[in-house]
Amino acid sequence: MPSSDSEDFESADEGSPETDKKVRKKRTSSSHYSDSNSQETNTGDKVTAKDNSQKVNVEPNVEAKTDGWDDFDIDCPVENEKLTKVKETKKLTKEADKPQSTGWDDFDDWGNDDATATTAVTTEKTQTDKSAADIKELTDRLASATSKNSGWGWGWGVDSLLSTASAGITTLTSQVSQGISTVLETGIGAPDPEELARINAKTTENTEQKSSSEHKSIEPSVVQEKEQTSPNEGSFPFGSLFSGVTKFVETTGTKVIAGGLDTLETIGKKTMEVLQDGDPGLAKKRAMLGLDPGEKPVLSQILREAKAKADEEDKIREEKREAKEVHYENLFDDFEGLVHLEALEMLSKQVNMRIEERLRAAEPEKKQDIKETMQQVVELCEIPEDEEDDDEAPEHQSKPDALHDRLQTATQDLGLKLQFQPIVKQYTDVLAWLSSNSNLNEKAVYKRAVSSLAQATALAVEIYHKTAEMLLVKTRRSTADEADAMTQMTVVLTKHVGELATLFTANMNSIETDNKDQVNTYITNIFLESGNSSTYIQNAFQLTLPILQIGAV
Amino acid sequence: MVDPIFDYQFRLILIGDSTVGKSSLLKYFTEGKFAELSDPTVGVDFFARIIEVQDGTRIKLQLWDTAGQERFRSITKSYYRNSVGALLVYDVCNRSSFEHIPLWMMEAKRHIEPHRPVFALVGCKIDLVGTDNKNGARREVSCEEARMFAEENGLHHVETSAKTGLNVEEAFVLVAQEVYNRIQTGEYKVEDGWDGIKTGFNRPNGMDFNLLEAETVQSTCC
Repeated sequence: MPSSDSEDFESADEGSPETDKKVRKKRTSSSHYSDSNSQETNTGDKVTAKDNSQKVNVEPNVEAKTDGWDDFDIDCPVENEKLTKVKETKKLTKEADKPQSTGWDDFDDWGNDDATATTAVTTEKTQTDKSAADIKELTDRLASATSKNSGWGWGWGVDSLLSTASAGITTLTSQVSQGISTVLETGIGAPDPEELARINAKTTENTEQKSSSEHKSIEPSVVQEKEQTSPNEGSFPFGSLFSGVTKFVETTGTKVIAGGLDTLETIGKKTMEVLQDGDPGLAKKRAMLGLDPGEKPVLSQILREAKAKADEEDKIREEKREAKEVHYENLFDDFEGLVHLEALEMLSKQVNMRIEERLRAAEPEKKQDIKETMQQVVELCEIPEDEEDDDEAPEHQSKPDALHDRLQTATQDLGLKLQFQPIVKQYTDVLAWLSSNSNLNEKAVYKRAVSSLAQATALAVEIYHKTAEMLLVKTRRSTADEADAMTQMTVVLTKHVGELATLFTANMNSIETDNKDQVNTYITNIFLESGNSSTYIQNAFQLTLPILQIGAV
Repeated sequence: MVDPIFDYQFRLILIGDSTVGKSSLLKYFTEGKFAELSDPTVGVDFFARIIEVQDGTRIKLQLWDTAGQERFRSITKSYYRNSVGALLVYDVCNRSSFEHIPLWMMEAKRHIEPHRPVFALVGCKIDLVGTDNKNGARREVSCEEARMFAEENGLHHVETSAKTGLNVEEAFVLVAQEVYNRIQTGEYKVEDGWDGIKTGFNRPNGMDFNLLEAETVQSTCC
């Protein structure tokens, strides 16, 4: 419709509400929309009423607010559109992934109106598919209120997408200027305008002229909302509709009015529906094409949120990585403690199988001997109760050297040339680190403590593994000496990891910090990991048992 | 310490006669160093390094460096089982080390069964070739005959030098890529109770964003 019609706008608005009322009453009979009717003030054919009311409502609503219709052009349509748009946008954001059809379920806040609108749209769309002949009939149908929907639907069906897109652009642009928060708030109240419009409609008297002018009023609103909309209307079968309406006015009086109102309702409904329903897809299309400036704030916000989320995830990941850095088992693995333990276990199993073979092959009385011998080895390898022999290092000797001496002394009866340098050197490094770094925070000390324990344990396990390998290739075995030596070595190594833990916790205690709870947690953990270390060492020792036993049987 | 972020861990074992250069090969591969003198390996030693295969997947290679000495033979055979790849190492200047390769391969096949490892035939000390008999070193295994043996047995073949670094990287990448390819084709998979292939710590991924994008594109068609 031409924009010049906007002058008639005022009167149209005033008149329309009454017509609405009448139309609704007429349409009550249509079962399709019955559900929504109950909620409506008017029980009439609410589909059309709804559509119309939504569109028309905007105007009355504005009227109520602003009094002056002159301002309407500027504020009302835009705002109302905005509301719709905002709603949609919100919806889109939330449910971008959902198909459109299901998306409607979430529009509960809109009330039944929306659902009705959808139904109407569907009906109309179906009809849209009809042939040209149907279109002709549609004009005729305009006489009856019910048929109008389809007629209008046809026109809209063609151009609805475009108009929606353009409408969205304008609306969203205005949104931007007003600020998202405001829009959102207003958006929540969207249903209210409708109600207001209806009330208006009831109270205001309308005439046929007014109703006819009302048609025009709709156009202005649409035009105002978006200039691009006008092409759509050009293609729109308005001409036929109007002629039909005129004809009706002449011939059927009120029916005609009703028809015109229905048309209006349909337009309004269509507008709302298209804006709401068609939007999910369009919004994305617009976003993709970058045509929708209004979408950008929302989009950027989404991106911002996504970025914030990603940052959060990164942080969590970093924390996990950090946690892994002080994760004892991982460190133990990294220092190749695990693989030495595993290799030792392979040897142990292999040797166990050989022992069992020997047992099976042995004479019955010999079997008993073998079992007894094996049991003796197990007893030899029992770790003595913590006899606190003060093996304090002599004054002249450094702690690492003392450790080396103790290990040498313990294992001298093994008759093997074992390499203790790695574990001694690691001890030296730890002591140097602790004494040279005086201003350490508790976290650094903790990390180093766990790492040092894991490394010392890995080196200890390697010693067991190497010892087992060398024992297996040793030509002359002396099981009792070996068992005794291994037991002593285990004691030394276990004490060594305990000593490491003590060193670190002592250092930790000397740290001046506000976070005493954290320090205590760290200290507890260090002792726990030290216990863990002892367990690994004991396990390695137990895995060595069959290697000792096989030397005796 | 090894960077913890990797997708798979492959366990490879190096076997071959003593003094062919297994430990030197590994030392160069993991540390980039070469030592003129080194102690003979006792039992087995371990090395580790992370590499990337062609599609960028990060593989931690856990390398088992076995002792070549005869006296450790009974021990080292215990270590074969959990290997997904085996490098058969010989010295290009030591004929007998090459002639023992079939024995090493049979040994490995027998102990790794029922798994079928990826084999690679790796000639070492290629840098000694052509040094005019300095240490009595002269090529005793031609590249052609080694290649022929490799082809007959379906092995990859590469000649390396742990001194110059020639082809060292390639030897390991070759095996890792082949193992990875077999994972891709489904021939190998991660199995409980078998440590030849293990999954590592997952890398951070951007899947969320990809999904979002795909979704948007998809929905525009309605």
